[in-house]
Amino acid sequence: MLANSPRLRLVGRRLVQIIPVIVLATFVVFGLLKLVPGDLAATLAGEYATEERVAQIRAEYGLNDPFLVQYGRWLLNAVQLDLSRSFQSNEPVLDQILHRFPTTMLLVVGALLISLTVGIPLGILAATRAGSRLDMVVTSISSFGVALPNFWLAMILVATLSLSWGWFPATGAVRFASDPQGAIWHAVLPSIALAAGGIAEVVRQLRSALIEILSSQYVRTLYAKGLSPAAILWKHGLKNVAVTLLTVIGLLISRLLGGAVVIEAVFAIPGMGSMVVRAAIVKDFPVVQGVVFTMVILVIAINMVIDLLYTVVDPRVALK
Amino acid sequence: MNTPIFRSNGRIDRRTLLALTGAAAMAGGEAMAQGTPKRGGTLRLSAQSNPSSLNPQTGNSGSDHVILYPLYDTLVEWDYTTLQSKPGLAEKWVYPDPTTLVLTIRDGVMFHDGTKCDGEAVRYNLLRAKNDERSNIKSDLATVQDITASGQTVTLKLKAPDSALPLILSDRAGMISSPRAMEEHGRDYDRRPVGTGAMKFVSWADNERVVMTKNESYWKKDRPLQDGMVFQIIPELPTGLRSVTAGQNDFVYFLVPQQKALIDRARNISSSLGPTLWCIQMYINYGRPPLDNVKVRQALNFAIDREEFNRACFGGIGEPTSVVLPRAHWACAQEYANHFTYDPDRARRLLAEAGHPNGLDIVGIGYAEQLAVQQQEVLIEQMRRGGIRLSWQRFTGPPTPTAFLAEKKGDIFLAAWTGRPDPSLTYQLLFGVGSYFNAGRGEGAPGLTEALLATRTSDDIAVRKEAFRELEKIVTENALVMPLVFRPELNAFGPKVKGYRANLLGKPKFEDVWLEG
Repeated sequence: MLANSPRLRLVGRRLVQIIPVIVLATFVVFGLLKLVPGDLAATLAGEYATEERVAQIRAEYGLNDPFLVQYGRWLLNAVQLDLSRSFQSNEPVLDQILHRFPTTMLLVVGALLISLTVGIPLGILAATRAGSRLDMVVTSISSFGVALPNFWLAMILVATLSLSWGWFPATGAVRFASDPQGAIWHAVLPSIALAAGGIAEVVRQLRSALIEILSSQYVRTLYAKGLSPAAILWKHGLKNVAVTLLTVIGLLISRLLGGAVVIEAVFAIPGMGSMVVRAAIVKDFPVVQGVVFTMVILVIAINMVIDLLYTVVDPRVALK
Repeated sequence: MNTPIFRSNGRIDRRTLLALTGAAAMAGGEAMAQGTPKRGGTLRLSAQSNPSSLNPQTGNSGSDHVILYPLYDTLVEWDYTTLQSKPGLAEKWVYPDPTTLVLTIRDGVMFHDGTKCDGEAVRYNLLRAKNDERSNIKSDLATVQDITASGQTVTLKLKAPDSALPLILSDRAGMISSPRAMEEHGRDYDRRPVGTGAMKFVSWADNERVVMTKNESYWKKDRPLQDGMVFQIIPELPTGLRSVTAGQNDFVYFLVPQQKALIDRARNISSSLGPTLWCIQMYINYGRPPLDNVKVRQALNFAIDREEFNRACFGGIGEPTSVVLPRAHWACAQEYANHFTYDPDRARRLLAEAGHPNGLDIVGIGYAEQLAVQQQEVLIEQMRRGGIRLSWQRFTGPPTPTAFLAEKKGDIFLAAWTGRPDPSLTYQLLFGVGSYFNAGRGEGAPGLTEALLATRTSDDIAVRKEAFRELEKIVTENALVMPLVFRPELNAFGPKVKGYRANLLGKPKFEDVWLEG
């Protein structure tokens, strides 16, 4: 009976889709890392190393094996949740990811909340006053927000709110588990910088979807029946843009995860973004692969949750 | 007052000159009067690099030292100004004959794990440094044949006379770990260091921070001054500097000269500036054409305007040079420091004599970072005037030196040489037959190997100085390297930080630093 549930079928389909996506994404990244010039063993051995030591490292890490063998070995271990050890620190990659994951997620969740709390009211305001000066201002600001590089905004925020006025920390992060208040305090500026593009995206998509709905025939009918504009907006307009909003949120989370790489560098935040950048520079394959693996799973999981929510706000989706 | 250091004419302004002079004086061990040292507080530092290892024997990065110094004492220490040796864990040492070095280890020194640091512990460390398969410092102790210990005495029997050893023992090879901890932790010792230093290791979150707490039973009188130290790993120097400006950290080191103007503009931070061994230079692969020809190498050297390079890339606060040791160093061959004066016509003539009348194509290996690219572009233009068509292959991070030194790509390599406490090690590593940093691996010029050996045969400083002059003569006349500029040590610190002294090695030590308030 459960197997006949449309939602379970949806989850099942998504889970099956995960496999080729993970294999493809990690294979491409693994291949790209191998294409980076330079001998990894010589790099790991360091500046004082002898030729023997380099050869020893090459054998120790299986770097003499064919490319496909190396990738297959990594993948086999990864599906058993053994993401190997960092070439640089020799620490388990999974431990490193779990240590940094909450920090990055705090930024992403913070930026998402800011994007929605600022973007939704502005989007509604612009849509309900379409064509007005207010609409033009909001639309212009949102266009600016899309074009604004978040690292530039981050520098401006640090220079003013942190260095000049001392309201927020300029760098670093605190672990949420040890000091929730401090963690949020440290995450404010990076989250704002990260959210700028998100706010603009939410405003633009929401405005456009809401204008379309508010100008539809059934809304005209609702007006004819004598419903107040507020009731039409809240009961009928927003309910119908929920699917659009969910789509925007899904895309936004993926974008914020990517944007966190830059923001973490600007604020010296020890998250997954800064970890993967450093790992890529020093060719620490297991760390890069581990982060990519985690990100792929995360994005697919988020998409799956969004798909499930579609079925809640619009049951027709499940039937399809 | 905000005084920009980069004047349009490229000259050093008065303030910078005073700062440099002052820093040099401070580096001389005469710390500016900054009040009475106080105990307490945690010194928070912004470190650019995650340590490669906290085991001094297995680490492979020159930037590790700043983090290793508080954890480990070295057998020998050095004077901040001259880098001449002075007692450390070894309270004295003698050469009873040219091939025997006897160290007397200070009595009563304990490791952080409560075990005693005696002759046997030192012997264990030196043997491990020399023989362990993961040791990166085997070559440092290459002349050591046998090591024996008795009580607080350690005797090193040498294959050949080696007066460089005391200062070699002020570097990684002389950082003594607890044998018990090394045995217990095995490979994990890389992340769980136990030394005798002023600070005890607490934790290391990779690429995040290294935390230390004070060693209550430290042997040095009135030290440590801080209750603890925290190295925050912040790879981007501008971010590191911002963390000090915002008061989140107290000290940031290894800043680049371009940041001096930013420091001067900030009202709540100070800077220290001092000469260092940190030489920006171009390594040459003279093991194959076209740079196996001395005339071509000389042409390259004469094609560089070092003064202009210093002004363009270092704001004029570096020290232009033709040699591998700065003028402040006791072993510097002063007469060769300006040997290669800029002369593009002479460069063209030398190229023609070498069989390249229409100029020459040279491929350089360099870092892809912004400041390195700026330097590379300046060199392209300078070399063009000398008839050399220079192009660059760029890499990011550690694969860059690997490309030139291990994979033998390119003809030259633009990078820093961070120096070693004993100058013979610098020459040995750069020019020694088979050395990793000698990309060609061969002997660059006749008589070089003998000249290298001669720098280690006597422990008389005057004799050694003369030996280094002879060695530098061979290196310079054969143009085995292209030294460009010595980069100054530039650090920034908050108002609480007192007592910091720069040192000629350019790797900050914080033993005399105290926090006010």
